[in-house]
Amino acid sequence: MNTQLDSFKYDDAIVRKFMVATFVWGLVGMLVGLLIALQLAVPALNVPPYLTFGRLRPLHTNAVIFAFAGNAIFTGIYYSSQRLLKARMFSDLLSALHFWGWQLIIVSAAITLPLGLTQSKEYAELEWPIDILIAVVWVIFAVNFFMTIAKRREKHLYVAIWFYIASIITVAILHIFNNLAIPAGPFKSYSIYAGAQDALMQWWYGHNAVAFFLTTPFLGLMYYFMPKAANKPVFSYRLSILHFWTLVFMYIWAGPHHLHYTALPEWASTLGMIFSVMLWMPSWGGGINGLLTLRGAWSRVVDDPVLKFFVVAVTAYMMATFEGPMLSIKSVNALAHYTDWVIAHVHTGALGWNGFLTFGMIYWLLPRLYQTKLHSTKLAETHFWIATFGMILYSTAIYSAGATQGLMWRAFDQSGHLQYPDFIETTMKLMPMYWMRALGGGLYIVGVLLFGYNILRTWQARPKVYEEPVIQAAPLVRVRGEGPSSVFAGLTKSGHRKWEGLPIVFTVWVAVAVIVASLFEILPTFLLKDTIPTIASVKPYTPLELAGRDLYQREGCFNCHSQMIRPLRYETERYGEYSKAGESVYDHPFLWGSRRIGPDLAREGGKYPNMWHVNHLRDPRSVTPKSIMPPYPGLFTGTLNFDEIEGHVGTMAMLGVPYGELTEKGKASAAAKAQAKTIADDIAANGGPQGLEDKEIVALVAYLQRLGVDIKKTEAVAQHRSPLLGGF
Amino acid sequence: MHLVDIVSHAGMGIFAEIAMILFLLAFAVIAIATYRPGNRGAMDAAARLPLEDEPAQREEEIRS
Repeated sequence: MNTQLDSFKYDDAIVRKFMVATFVWGLVGMLVGLLIALQLAVPALNVPPYLTFGRLRPLHTNAVIFAFAGNAIFTGIYYSSQRLLKARMFSDLLSALHFWGWQLIIVSAAITLPLGLTQSKEYAELEWPIDILIAVVWVIFAVNFFMTIAKRREKHLYVAIWFYIASIITVAILHIFNNLAIPAGPFKSYSIYAGAQDALMQWWYGHNAVAFFLTTPFLGLMYYFMPKAANKPVFSYRLSILHFWTLVFMYIWAGPHHLHYTALPEWASTLGMIFSVMLWMPSWGGGINGLLTLRGAWSRVVDDPVLKFFVVAVTAYMMATFEGPMLSIKSVNALAHYTDWVIAHVHTGALGWNGFLTFGMIYWLLPRLYQTKLHSTKLAETHFWIATFGMILYSTAIYSAGATQGLMWRAFDQSGHLQYPDFIETTMKLMPMYWMRALGGGLYIVGVLLFGYNILRTWQARPKVYEEPVIQAAPLVRVRGEGPSSVFAGLTKSGHRKWEGLPIVFTVWVAVAVIVASLFEILPTFLLKDTIPTIASVKPYTPLELAGRDLYQREGCFNCHSQMIRPLRYETERYGEYSKAGESVYDHPFLWGSRRIGPDLAREGGKYPNMWHVNHLRDPRSVTPKSIMPPYPGLFTGTLNFDEIEGHVGTMAMLGVPYGELTEKGKASAAAKAQAKTIADDIAANGGPQGLEDKEIVALVAYLQRLGVDIKKTEAVAQHRSPLLGGF
Repeated sequence: MHLVDIVSHAGMGIFAEIAMILFLLAFAVIAIATYRPGNRGAMDAAARLPLEDEPAQREEEIRS
């Protein structure tokens, strides 16, 4: 037996870097959040073209998810993994590349999103060059992490490490497959998926981004930092194992609950609902496990801000994971979908669970990383109370706003007509709640500023040179027959305990669980003909309409307007015939939206004359006096690039959109010019500005006038099913 | 004939339901394995890993 001990040092410098980045980007992301919250209450705060709600909202979500939460995850993972594995990170160079690469991605997002460069898929807005960079940086992180596991000196992989493994593997899979797109320019691409298939892929990604970026890695952090802070082992290690596997098995299926009552096949939606409801159990099991870790230490919660933050974080996790399954139930979802209720739900998770766990973790880390006392415990306590109060204010306001919206949209009067037929009535009702939300969010940010001050002052009190304790641990001796010779290695020995220590086997099985579940859920939508019945009258967008659609994406219109009318009476009364899957078969990407700050636009085509749209886009309040929509003066000066339109049509044709002879040289641009002239002439004839035939406004108007028009044509009734399946 | 035609014809519409049952079975196996009575000692040892990863003296200094 080799009794020689290895000596090594942990790399805490990289942890310090990620920690500071967490604060900086957290503050930036939350300030952008506050700005867009205020833009809803004061539309004049929109500064077109770069600082409008539609362009800034993705910046806010990306910043808080990938910049704030992302850097927080890396802070915790780099700190805890080295200690749990008793090994320094595999490569300081890879750690540095990971850190700087990730910051570069964030800066790229901060530049491109206000410029309107977007794929328009929620939390996957970043365009293809940045997506490639994300994949590269993620692989660097993965290599560094897995190689650290490989050279570890602790045989058993603690449950936190499992959560990290699952997160790293699954995020890679989600990112790659949801972002598959054909580039149509340096910062423009079209998703390879269309319509309902794209929607399924997006929400498979979207929900699992919440699961494997905002939940499982944070659970790993909880299972490490909560015992550390409480100085007690986790309440039940067995329960943590169950917690892990149930999440891995179930989470991946839950995505379709984001698409209830849409044109997604009903079976997929039901499957998403069932798994979502089942998720409640393991989530609460894990939450209770976290809280009970404080058994016997509850008295310390009174004096210890770290424990206070952790208790509220886990409580918020439990609240959010109770509410999530509830929202996934179709009848509840019918009320909540498209409303601010979902925003409130997300913020309970983000502000409470992710935010408070991060604050608690960093307050615990500060004295350890800066090797001095925390500057002020009192200030940390103040941060806790201000942030808690801010969060309550925020949530109360937005939950009320969501319920108000949902109930007003579905209200009928005694004569059987919509009680609030004018959408703006429901918007105006929310104003006090928007203000209250901004106040709550503002208070949360005040807390973050106190947090930053505490970090700064603690950093200032650091020693001149950081002490780097030399750690000694016995190297891991590989017992014959325990090597990862096959993925079934552990199963043939003494079950789970054995292969917990076999990282390759463990990782393979996690990947298998995620991939198999994904395939079972996704493949039928792609491979069964009757899931997307085609509609004969639905034709591809004209080249000019396609250009208009690109502008619709650039301006982020989908952040406020859905294009999916649900088959519910109050929806069809308000917007018209419900949306069919066959209507969006040429939509690369789908633009169904997930929120209605403004009305649905699925049947917008032909509803108003061209001139109405021109006035509306130039000055929304000139046609809808209380509208909170930003103006888009840039559309009247921005010039259409007809050559670029031709290229985009060609890319769409590559994706299978039947453009026929329009793909021949010069034809798409000629068609676009002709249609643009017709619309520009109509605008001029109705008293509008002259000479708009090469301006962006005509393309956007063309697109809006096309929405939902095809299905009204007489041949639309020829909806057919696959002859193979016994259709006609 | 395309892959879509073949798969559509194969009647694999209950794909997902079968997978769901398989997943639940796999979960049941893990649950039973985890709660085997013989595991307690090893589980308790594993649970203590986060508490044993820092030199005790250093932790004492920070906490004091």
